[in-house]
Amino acid sequence: MKNPRRRFLSLAGAAAGLVAVAGCAKDAPQDTWQPAGPNAEMIDNLQRPVFLVAGIVGVIVFAAVAWVVFRYRDRGQAIPEQTHGKPAVEITLTVIPVLILIGVAIPTASTIFDLAKTDDTQMVINVTGQQWWWEYDYPAIGDNAAKYGLSQPIVTSGQLVIPENTKVLLRVTSRDVIHSYWIPKLNGKKDGVPGRVHLLRLEGSKPGIYAGQCTEFCGLSHSYMRMETIVLKRADFDAWVANQLAPYEAPAEGTLAKEGEALYIQQCSRCHQVNGLADAEGNLIVSAPEQYVVSGAAPNLTNLMTRNTFAGASWDLLTQECRDVVWKASADEFGAKYLAGVSADCLNQKDLREWLRNAPEKKPMYVDPTKLQETGGKYRGMPALGLTEDQIDALVAYLLERK
Amino acid sequence: MAIIERPSTEIAVAGGATVGVKPSEALGVFKRPGASNSWRDWIVTVDHKKLGIMYGVAAFVFFIIGGIEALLIRLQLMGPDGKVLSADQYNQMFTMHATTMVFLFVMPMVSAFANYFIPLQIGARDVAFPRINAFGFWCWLFGGIFLNTSWFLGGAADGGWFMYAPNSSTLFSPSHGIDFWVLGLQITGIASLTGAINLIVTVLNMRAPGMKLMRMPIFTWMALVVQFLLLFAMPVITVALFLLSFQREFDATFFDVAAGADPLLWQHLFWIFGHPEVYILILPSFGIVSEVIPVFSKKPLFGYPIVAMSGAAIGFVGWGVWAHHMFASGLGPVSVAVFSMATMAIAVPTGVKIVNWIMTMWGGKLQFTTAMLFAIGLVVQFTIGGLSGVTHSVAPSDTQQTDTYYIVAHFHYVLFGGAIFGLFAGFYYWWPKMFRKQLNEGLGKVNFWLMVVGMNMTFGPMHILGLQGQPRRMGVWTEARAGEGFFNIGFWNMIASIGSFILAVGVLMFIINIVYTHKSKRVPIAPLDPWDARSLEWMTSSPPAEHNFDAIPTVNHLDEFFHRKYAEDPNSHEIKQVASAEEVLADLNSRPDEHIHMPSRSYWPILVALALPIICYGLIYNRLLMAVGAAFLLLTMFGWAMEPSTASDDDFDPPAPGEGGGHTKELAPLG
Amino acid sequence: MADTAVAHHTTTGLSNNKLGMWLFLGSECLLFGGLISTYMLYRGRTNTGPQPDQIYDIPFTSVSSFVLLMSSLTMVLAVSAANRKDDRNTNLWLTVTAILGATFVGGQVYEFTAFYREGLGFTTSLFGSSFYTLTGFHGVHVTVGIIMLMALVGMVRRNRIPGSKAETVELVGLYWHFVDIIWIVIFTLVYLIPS
Repeated sequence: MKNPRRRFLSLAGAAAGLVAVAGCAKDAPQDTWQPAGPNAEMIDNLQRPVFLVAGIVGVIVFAAVAWVVFRYRDRGQAIPEQTHGKPAVEITLTVIPVLILIGVAIPTASTIFDLAKTDDTQMVINVTGQQWWWEYDYPAIGDNAAKYGLSQPIVTSGQLVIPENTKVLLRVTSRDVIHSYWIPKLNGKKDGVPGRVHLLRLEGSKPGIYAGQCTEFCGLSHSYMRMETIVLKRADFDAWVANQLAPYEAPAEGTLAKEGEALYIQQCSRCHQVNGLADAEGNLIVSAPEQYVVSGAAPNLTNLMTRNTFAGASWDLLTQECRDVVWKASADEFGAKYLAGVSADCLNQKDLREWLRNAPEKKPMYVDPTKLQETGGKYRGMPALGLTEDQIDALVAYLLERK
Repeated sequence: MAIIERPSTEIAVAGGATVGVKPSEALGVFKRPGASNSWRDWIVTVDHKKLGIMYGVAAFVFFIIGGIEALLIRLQLMGPDGKVLSADQYNQMFTMHATTMVFLFVMPMVSAFANYFIPLQIGARDVAFPRINAFGFWCWLFGGIFLNTSWFLGGAADGGWFMYAPNSSTLFSPSHGIDFWVLGLQITGIASLTGAINLIVTVLNMRAPGMKLMRMPIFTWMALVVQFLLLFAMPVITVALFLLSFQREFDATFFDVAAGADPLLWQHLFWIFGHPEVYILILPSFGIVSEVIPVFSKKPLFGYPIVAMSGAAIGFVGWGVWAHHMFASGLGPVSVAVFSMATMAIAVPTGVKIVNWIMTMWGGKLQFTTAMLFAIGLVVQFTIGGLSGVTHSVAPSDTQQTDTYYIVAHFHYVLFGGAIFGLFAGFYYWWPKMFRKQLNEGLGKVNFWLMVVGMNMTFGPMHILGLQGQPRRMGVWTEARAGEGFFNIGFWNMIASIGSFILAVGVLMFIINIVYTHKSKRVPIAPLDPWDARSLEWMTSSPPAEHNFDAIPTVNHLDEFFHRKYAEDPNSHEIKQVASAEEVLADLNSRPDEHIHMPSRSYWPILVALALPIICYGLIYNRLLMAVGAAFLLLTMFGWAMEPSTASDDDFDPPAPGEGGGHTKELAPLG
Repeated sequence: MADTAVAHHTTTGLSNNKLGMWLFLGSECLLFGGLISTYMLYRGRTNTGPQPDQIYDIPFTSVSSFVLLMSSLTMVLAVSAANRKDDRNTNLWLTVTAILGATFVGGQVYEFTAFYREGLGFTTSLFGSSFYTLTGFHGVHVTVGIIMLMALVGMVRRNRIPGSKAETVELVGLYWHFVDIIWIVIFTLVYLIPS
């Protein structure tokens, strides 16, 4: 029987190999081993030695099994002594893991408390999950207003924009079921629980775009609840804030976009807010998603084209080439590329049009009016609007100017 | 000796009974069933061995169902933007896969082994409450079937097996799937609770003379710990399920955030049950492996008392670690630190077991039978799962890994590589005991290696997927987040999917092996003691007669059977065989017990159990049906209560002359 | 158990039935533990409907609690009569216990009705849901106990379980005392400690 022995050696080798390969795999956007900020680094500094120790212990155990299997296989030897145990061996082999675990426990405890620190916070952002997208609300309070130019609150979704090397405190909650906010390269995850506010610290030390996903199962379209966090240099961040707070610019009369504005007011503004949008009489239009949607919210589209993903960050607003330009930009160039937003040439027409044509077909949602008794007729998600292709043209033209 | 004897009944018996059947004293609805060899005997049986086999067969059917669900999941995730299942179907699929594997496969398969072997291993003739034992089995079976009928009645549960509130309320899951899930688990829970009480009483009260606790086979020990875990864990999930069903069926507000409810209540209740549940799933397999390794090493279990006590310690500490499932839930840092430390602490008794298994093999005379291979497979694969478990106990690291495929990899190494490999070791080891034939060793090895390769190919890459950031419970993954290079998320998903089909072929080999073993004329009857085993269950005929032992042995040692076969030469200190298994058995049976009383068959357990799904269908669809079910329940319970726990002696045919001696016994009933 | 017809030999010396009952009651502790925890977690979180201190009628509930407590005493008398093989007194005390239990359940029904009239429905608030669930579960346990007591009375009268009669009475007694003790805990935590 040489098979078992070979098996254990190869298993041990395979395990070591897997770990090595895992380290080699390149550029997975949600890789948990490539920290890009101090919080994730703290975790990384803890998990690397722990994984190493676990790996070593594993190899020792496999080697012991392999040795035993090889050495003591039945070669016709006599029946062995019926020994029931050796206390010295047992105590030693109990004490060793205890010592190893104490060695792991001490840095673990200190890291837990370090990660929970909030007293040196520099910026506060409210992060709210709902089926199936994230809303970010930058309150115009404290340091936000005093130091970061947030004279007015900013409400956005999908992509969270934060300044570089800034200790940002997320106040995570939810409007419906439990979600979990997770940007692996910046920190571990934290659940957004309705009725509770949980604190999560993010800090990015390098400008760039950091992908994440909702990681608490949140119903039908859980797979389509993604998000990104954008880290910008301070100057770029200031420019971003200024743009977000800039007044509304209505499309020029007679353009396709102007037609789109009318259509937007008629079709979209019930749920989706565009700040500053006014009707023909000049009255500001305030959306009322609470009347139509279970969660009571819909993404604010005021600056849709400054973000480069939509629908819970599930699809890109940029074509593949333009997307690569942003995602692969160097840290120095990233800010400018990101702030350029979505131009007409770069717009990913296909996914956006499919979305406007029939959203629930693209992203599963509960919008069948015959099945909404439990919700009193409110949708969970966005229904198909039954737009014609001409209407979609007009809406796309209008949305393109929302930047 | 008369451990299980009951006083014979003083109830007057209606005369003129035909052989095997006599009129029932109560109600007059049913004749009390007698012994027969037809399928009816399985319906009315209270024999722990028959119930064990039924548990096993039914659980294996559910294993196949859960496996097909798993294959569909892997098909969906084989490539990006999978289209095999819709989002809704995918959510149902992973919910039911987990539910099926946990509640309808591993737990009842453990019940199968525990039912069959605990009485044999402790030298008892049956369990303490045979009718309740039968009732438990039927509850579990009907609950499982009820749960699975949801597939055909508007869709199965779609909230994940952890069923977090408030996603489980009707607002967010309007189909009846979760209603079926809640009520189905409530029914199967009855089986766990009654089974726990039954087996604990059996182990504590019905051991053979001299069978001290510290002489019990280690499988019985681990099963005993598990029954205590069930005894205290089931009521907690029962409360949680009641709260959820009251919320869904009667509009209670327990998880209604608008009314001020805290969704974390469900999480705490669920995991206070759910973490002991993990040990409920794995400890019996530890027990099986602790039987198999000594037998095929020709050595006693190294550090038997430590293995037994570490099992108890795991059971105990297992209550203090539930919140490690909630490190991202927003507990404060103090709670997180405490649960983190407690979780590390539980690694110690678990590690002790691995050390003891290796030390058992150390210096042994190892025979690599299929059962032994599966046992060694558990040792290795569980070590991987255990070590990845230690990495989770490091809470900050866990906030990166929780809800990713790294966790999926971890618990499949523990539950598939551990628990299920242990169960397969049990299948191969105990098959000749239960069915008189040894499963084919050649096919067995093919089965083993396919399962090893399939298992590691399926779940090994999931470590990488998780660390590269693929979350679990996702119906689709996207190319955009898959990373670049050849070994990206797409590659590993493909490997995992291919592995899952190899694993399925491995399980298929097991089925082929069963068919071959029992259909082929060339497979001989197995010898009495094919493995040169050590414990009491082998000290009787295979399969054992209904009364298990013609003579209950007196136990003087741990590994009593071994010590009756072997002795140490006082001069050379060599271990020498002094008697064959047949001689040991003949010696034991030379003084058969008289007046063996066995329990009576009964229709009532299956009928009472049948009332429960009727009530539950009624609760979901029609309150009138519910009333009918409730009336049926009351009637059948009355019938049960009025049926004397013991029927009279002439209810039974004399047993057919058995393998082990052919003494005709008076088989009188027990309650 | 010296006086039972045949002493059953068990390893622990406890009969299977008694050991089983103890285990069952151990499990029940966790059931009520879960329900009580739910109530305690949600106390003070109710924002709609009547608050506990507005509707509890402590004197009334104290009286019915006292009634239930007294039933434990009569249960003890029933068990001791059964041990003496005194069928007449066994039946007497079992009946009295059942009547006291029924009085308690009646009081609970009255209390529920009164609360409902004051606006506390099962779905009104967290308080309503958790209060009715907890006390309702306890009420069902008492009711099951009453049914068992009545069944015992019937069985003793028909002399159906002569051999192990005393033990059967004792088993029901164990259950009954358990349900009483649980009520003391509930009464203290739910009614007496102000939220």
